[in-house]
Amino acid sequence: MSNRRARPVRLVLAALALVVVGALGVSASAFGRDAAKSCGSVTMDENAWAGATANVYVLKYVLEENLGCTVNIEKLPESTPLFQAMADGKVDVVPEDWNNILLKVNQKYVKSGTIMNLGSNGVIGHIGWFIPTYLMKQYPQFKTWRGLKGKEGIFKSPESGSQGMFLGGDPSYVQKDAQLIKELGLDFKFVSVGAEPAQVARWTQAYKQKKPIIFYWYTPQYLNTAYQLSEIKLPARSKTCVDSYNPKLGSNWGIYKCAYGLTIIDKLMTSKFAKSGSPAVGVIKRWKWSANDQNYVANLIAGKHMDPEKAAEQWVDANPAKVKAWLGK
Amino acid sequence: MSVVADTTTTAAVPSLLVEHRPWWRSRVTLSGAIVGVMLVCYFAAKAQYPWPASLTWNTLPTHLNDFQTWLVDSRNAENPSVVIRAFNGFADFLDSLVNWFSSLLGWMTWVGVTVAGVLVSLRFGGVRAAAWALAAFATFALSGLWVESMQTLALMLAAVGLSLLVGIPLGVLAGLSDRFARAVTPVLDAMQIIPAFAYLMPIVILFSVGPGAAVITTMIYAIPPAIRITALGIRGVPANTVEAALAMGSTPVQSLTKVRLPLARRMLLLSVNQTILFALSMVVIAGLIGGKGLGDVVTSGLNSYPALALLAGLVIVVMAMALDRVTEAVAERTNPARRHLTDDLRRRLRRASVATALVVAAVIAGARIAGVGADYSRRTARDWLLARIQSVLDYVQNPDTFLFQVTSWIGDHIVQYGLVPFRNFLVETPWPVTLVGITLIALVVSGRRPAVTTFLMLGVIGVIGEWASAMDTASQVLVATVLTVAIGFGLGVLAAESRTFSKILRPVNDVLQTLPQLVYLIPLIYLMPVSVVPGVIAGVLYAFPVVARLVENGVRNVEANTVEAAAAFGATRRQILRKVKIPLAQDAIMLGVNQGIIMVLAVVVIGGLVGSPGLGYEVAQGLARSDFGLGVLASVAILALGIALDRVTRGVRRAQLGEEP
Repeated sequence: MSNRRARPVRLVLAALALVVVGALGVSASAFGRDAAKSCGSVTMDENAWAGATANVYVLKYVLEENLGCTVNIEKLPESTPLFQAMADGKVDVVPEDWNNILLKVNQKYVKSGTIMNLGSNGVIGHIGWFIPTYLMKQYPQFKTWRGLKGKEGIFKSPESGSQGMFLGGDPSYVQKDAQLIKELGLDFKFVSVGAEPAQVARWTQAYKQKKPIIFYWYTPQYLNTAYQLSEIKLPARSKTCVDSYNPKLGSNWGIYKCAYGLTIIDKLMTSKFAKSGSPAVGVIKRWKWSANDQNYVANLIAGKHMDPEKAAEQWVDANPAKVKAWLGK
Repeated sequence: MSVVADTTTTAAVPSLLVEHRPWWRSRVTLSGAIVGVMLVCYFAAKAQYPWPASLTWNTLPTHLNDFQTWLVDSRNAENPSVVIRAFNGFADFLDSLVNWFSSLLGWMTWVGVTVAGVLVSLRFGGVRAAAWALAAFATFALSGLWVESMQTLALMLAAVGLSLLVGIPLGVLAGLSDRFARAVTPVLDAMQIIPAFAYLMPIVILFSVGPGAAVITTMIYAIPPAIRITALGIRGVPANTVEAALAMGSTPVQSLTKVRLPLARRMLLLSVNQTILFALSMVVIAGLIGGKGLGDVVTSGLNSYPALALLAGLVIVVMAMALDRVTEAVAERTNPARRHLTDDLRRRLRRASVATALVVAAVIAGARIAGVGADYSRRTARDWLLARIQSVLDYVQNPDTFLFQVTSWIGDHIVQYGLVPFRNFLVETPWPVTLVGITLIALVVSGRRPAVTTFLMLGVIGVIGEWASAMDTASQVLVATVLTVAIGFGLGVLAAESRTFSKILRPVNDVLQTLPQLVYLIPLIYLMPVSVVPGVIAGVLYAFPVVARLVENGVRNVEANTVEAAAAFGATRRQILRKVKIPLAQDAIMLGVNQGIIMVLAVVVIGGLVGSPGLGYEVAQGLARSDFGLGVLASVAILALGIALDRVTRGVRRAQLGEEP
C-alpha cells in the first residue's frame, strides 16, 4: 500500500529534479579554449605565498598569449617533494626557489643532472627583525638592536612570562633568531606561532591594536605595502657569518651574531625540459623582474582578491617593454 | 571510530560492582600522593636533570637521513631496481585510475553527473537520500568549485574502492581468526595514530607526486576502519546460527558466504560508510602532494585568501554529510531483515532500476548532444558567499569586539594557568622522577600490564631523544583531553536526556568532524592570539563530538526497567541520572575518554602547524625542511605516547571492576 502511494511522489520529484537540472544545462555554454600550438605544455610549480603566485600567473599569461603554450600549474610543498616531482618529469619549472636547492639532500638532483639552476629571477630577498613604524616613532632608539636592551619588557605577552616576546617566523624558513637573541644578550623569549598565515594573523592583530610587537619578517612581501613596518639594524655582517641555525655547526653561536644576508632567489628548470626545444625555455631563461613588480601583482591577488589571471593581464598590459625583453624581441 | 566503539560497549556487561577501599587507598588519593612527591622533586631540582645524552641513541637521526638519501639515490638511478620499478608501476596505475574516474565524470557532463547521483540515491536510498545528493551537487555548483569537487570525488572513488578491496577481505579474516586479529591490531593502531605528515616524504620519494600518491596516503588512513568494522560484524554473527549451518552440512566456505556475510551485512555497509568519511578527512593532506581538488584550494587559499579556503572547507563538509546520509539510507533501506520482498515488489524494483539506468543514459546523451560542458559554468553564488565569509573573518579579526575580549581572556588564562605551568612541570621535573611517577600512576589507576607498557613507551621516547618534546606534547594533549571530556560529557548527557537537543547536536558534530582543521585554525588564531591555544582548541573541537556521541549512546542505552525501578522508588530525574544512568554508562564514558585522547593526539600535528611546540611541530618541520630523521623520530614518539595513553585509559575500567588483565 504505502509503496504504491510513494511511487508517484518519487516520480514527480525525479521529474522535477530533471527539469531543474536540464533547464540549467541547456542554457549552459561551454567554450573550450584551443591552445597548444607549436609550444606544447609547460608545468610550473606555484609555492604557497602570494609572490610565487604572481610569478606563475604572469609567466603563464605571457607564454599562453604570445607563444600559444599550455601552462599547467602544480602546487607542491617546497624542497624534496618538489625536487622529486621534477626528477619524475611532473614539474618543469620552478620560478622561485629560496635556496632549497642548496640543501645537501637536494644537491643530489643537481649533481645527477636532472635539475638546472637558472640563477636569479631578479627578486632579492631580505630577512630581518621588524617592528611597526608607529612603534619606531615612539621609541627612536629601536633603530638598532642596542636600543632594545632594557626595553624588552614592553613586548610582553601571555606566553613569554616576565620576558618580552620575539615572534619567530615560519619554522620552515631560514632563521637563527633564538641564537641571535642569546648572543646579543637580549631578554626576549623566542616564540614561534607556526606557519606563515598564523604568524601574519598574530602580528597584524597587534598592529591593529597599536600594540608593541617585534617579529621575524622579510621582503619582498605584498603585506609590506598595506602595513608600515620598520627594520631594526642588527650587527654588521662578517665573512664567517651564518644565516641558518644548524646544530651540526656546534655550540659556538658567535657565528650567528650578525644581520641576515641578502638572498638571491633562483629559478629552476629540469634539464629534460631545457633540451625539449620548446620556445618557452628561452623566455623563462630571460624572465626577470623586480621586487616592486612582484609586489604589485601579489597585492592585486592576495590583498585585493583579484583573479590571478586578471592581475597578470593588468601588469603585462602596463609593462609592454619588459615583456618584450623576455620574449627576446 | 565512534561506531566501532558503540558496538563494543553494548557487548560489555554494565556493572555497579565497584569494590570499596578505605579512602587512603583509593586511586585518587594514591595518584595525588605520587603527584605530590613529583611536585616536591620538581621544585627541588627544577630543570637540572633533563634526559641524559648518554641514554640517547645519538646516531639514529643520521641513519634515518642516510636512509632517505639512499632512497632518493635508488629511486633516481639510471636503472632502478625491480622493487622501485614496481612502486613506479603501481603509482602510474593509480594515477591513471584517478584520471579515468575524473575524465568519466567530465564526460558525463555536470548535468549527467547530477542526474545520475540523484536518481541512483533515489532508487537505493529513498527520497531523503536523493534530496541530500541534490543539495550536495547544488553546493558544488553554487560555490563555483565544481571542477575541484569532481576531482575530489574521483580521488575518493579510487581511494575508497581500493581501501574496501583490501580492507573487507582482511576484515573477514580478522573476524574469523583471533590470531590474525591480534597480529593486525597494532599495525592498525599505528596507521591511525602516526600523522600523515610523517609518511608524506617517503611516499613522495617512492611514488612521486600526483593523484596516485594521494590515493596511497588516503588508503593508509582509510583501511583500518574498513578492517575493524568488518571484523566486528563477522564476530557479531551468533555462534549458534553458524553451528546450525555447519550441522546442516554446509562447508566452511558456504557458512561464510551464505550465513556470516549476509548476517554481517549492516556492519559491512557501515564499514563502507566509515571508510568514506575517513578518506574524506584526508582530502587536505592529499592536496599537499598533488591530489588536486578541494584540498588544494584549502591549502593554497590559507596564505592568500582565507575566505576561499573556508568556502572549500564547507564544500568538503557538505560532500561528507551527503555521502554519509546516502550510504546510511542505502544500508537501512536495502536491509533484508526489514523488508519482505514479494515477487511483485521485486519485479517493480527491477523495473525502477532499469528506468533509472535508462533515464541517466538518456540525460547524458542529451547533455552531450546539447554541448553541456564538464564544468558548471553558469552563474554561481561564489562572490556572495565569499563576501559573507569575509565579513565573518573581518569581525573575528577585529580586536575591538566584545567576542574578542571574551575569547582572548579565555586563551590567555588557559596558557598562563594551565598549559605553561603544567608543561614546565612535566618537562622540568628530573627525568627519573617523571618516568617512575607516571609509571606508578598508570599502575595505580590501570593495573600492571598498562604500567609496564607505559614504562617501555616512555623509555623509547627518551632513547630516541624526544623526551622534552614528548613531555611538552603530553601537557597539551592532557589539557585538551580534560576540556574534551568535560564538554563532550556535558553535551552527551544533555543529548541523551533531550531528543530536541540531540537533533541540534548531530549536525554540529558532523560539521566539526569533517571540516578540515586547517580551516578553522585561522579564525581561532585571531580570536585567541597566544601560541599553543589554537592547537589545543582545534583538538578539543575535533574530539568532543565523539565523546558526546559515545556518552549519549551509553546513557540512553541504560535499560529502561532499571530506570523505571529507580523511578518507582521515588528517585527524582536528577537522582536517576546521577545515581543510575551515569554509573551504568561508565563503560561508554571511559571509552569516550579513550577515543577522545587518541583523537586529540591525531590533531597534534595540525597544532604544530600553528606553532604548538613539541612533537607535532617537529613532524611539520621535518617535512618542510627535508629533515627525514626529525620527522620520523617525532612520529615514533607520538605513536609511543598514543599507545601508552590508550592502554592506560582502556585499563581503568577493567581495574575498577577488579579484573587484572
